[in-house]
Amino acid sequence: MSAAIEARGVERRYGSLVAVEDLSFSAANGEILGVLGPNGAGKTTAIRVLTTILEPTRGEFQVAGAPHTRPAEIRARIGVLPESAGYPEQQTGEEYLRYHARLYGQSRAGAGEVARSLLEEVGLGGRRGSLISTYSRGMRQRLGIARALVNQPRVVFLDEPTLGLDPAGQRQVLGMVRRIAGERGATVLLSTHLLAEVEETCSRVLILNRGWVVAEGTVGEVARRAAAPRSGRIRVPPEGAEAALVALASVDGVEAAVDGRPGSLTVTLTDTESMNAAVRAVADAGITLLSSELEGARLSDAFLAMTEAG
Amino acid sequence: MRVVAAQELRDLWLGGRGLVLGFAFSLLMSVIAYLVATNRALNFLEHRETVNLTLQVAIAVGALLALLAAADTISGERERGTLESLLLTPVSRFEITAGKLLGALSLWLAAFAITIPYVWFLGRGVGLVGDALATGALVGTLLAVFLASFGVLISVVAASNRVSLSLSLLVLLALFVPTQLPSSAQRGWAGDLLLRLNPITAGEHYVGRIVTDGHPWSKDISWLLSPAIAAVVFAGAALFVGARYTRLGGGAAA
Repeated sequence: MSAAIEARGVERRYGSLVAVEDLSFSAANGEILGVLGPNGAGKTTAIRVLTTILEPTRGEFQVAGAPHTRPAEIRARIGVLPESAGYPEQQTGEEYLRYHARLYGQSRAGAGEVARSLLEEVGLGGRRGSLISTYSRGMRQRLGIARALVNQPRVVFLDEPTLGLDPAGQRQVLGMVRRIAGERGATVLLSTHLLAEVEETCSRVLILNRGWVVAEGTVGEVARRAAAPRSGRIRVPPEGAEAALVALASVDGVEAAVDGRPGSLTVTLTDTESMNAAVRAVADAGITLLSSELEGARLSDAFLAMTEAG
Repeated sequence: MRVVAAQELRDLWLGGRGLVLGFAFSLLMSVIAYLVATNRALNFLEHRETVNLTLQVAIAVGALLALLAAADTISGERERGTLESLLLTPVSRFEITAGKLLGALSLWLAAFAITIPYVWFLGRGVGLVGDALATGALVGTLLAVFLASFGVLISVVAASNRVSLSLSLLVLLALFVPTQLPSSAQRGWAGDLLLRLNPITAGEHYVGRIVTDGHPWSKDISWLLSPAIAAVVFAGAALFVGARYTRLGGGAAA
């Protein structure tokens, strides 16, 4: 096993309830793997199993070169931002990081240095002496990410790191995620239910639904796999809509309809090639084409198709 | 373990909770000392008995403080959402539990330190200060280890911090019930057995024999059996069984 994370047939049950079933996947060194899934899909349980907080009921895995049978070794090599992590309100950010660095075996002086440099790195250098109780949610998330990095981890697990953050905070955290992989060379497993985050940040994606892996691959691969049948939207000037409908009626594999907005037509396609034919037919009819958009090739469609069907 | 214990001590003492409890304890000791030294109704107490009463209150309340701090250790972290981060470190659960237990026991040590001047003041002139303090330290430490370990165990399995604190207090009150029984109920083999089996009543009985009756240490040593066994068994259970079951979810999920 040379991948940063490799899981084979991992299962976690709570009595008769199966939270994660037959989880098998791998993540390469330095990649950002997005784990998507609706609420209750098993994302957090999967992370808790892989980070050794929960024991698997079946299956095996290795993280950062350590097998699941040696949990302390795994914990020494990974960093984790748990979902809804709490923070000791009466500690300062620096005290909090120093304590965690000490738990990873750093000397007193080394822990202080690590704490200060990480706080600078996540943009909290100016607030290092402030009590955590005075931190905003975004600051706490950045502090949590800094805590996940105190041991120079080879694999970082981030469970919903942007939950409850405003767009600026989300952008800041996603920038940090990219830096962790890009500059530190760590593998990042990013759990989220925000599809835009995955499209923007992750090199590969894993979709979980009801404890099962329903798709795995690059964002493009996953989107394509679940996208047929597709639909599209064609926008023409409102006065050309009727003529466009007539032109589209003659194209095989295309059904067009007015979608209620002036000049906007919805087309249902049997395959992606039909969209090209539809666009050509409108252009050949001498109608100005304002825009054309192929739907169903987006991650959101794949996500919905795979999680709703399950 | 050292790092966890040091952090517990910082949280407890620099965070202010320990100082507040210590201050409340010293107020209580001042009131007790004032009453036994000046109150007419209590003045009938023989000199040795005033020391014994003060010491017994100090042991009971000091051990109670250790119990309360211990009952908050794991369930408190769980409730504040900080337990997962702690469990994610390579520090073993044994070390986490042991560090927290040591932190909780610091409250007993502080309570005992506060008690010293009161015992010295009340016991001066009758030559029992040394014996009283040594007995108090021994019995109090055994009871504090027993109760704090019990608190940690409850904290490990409790579904919430409130449950942990309530259950710990309930059991402590139950252990104190025999001290409130009429003296007739404490006589005979059944009464004797009840007092000997209960670590708290046995420990306090032993303190009484040394301080009030002036017995040598070895004469009633059998009374120390149940406090000693309770301390060893519960500390072992907290450190090994408790550590094993220190998990993210308390209650049924544990």
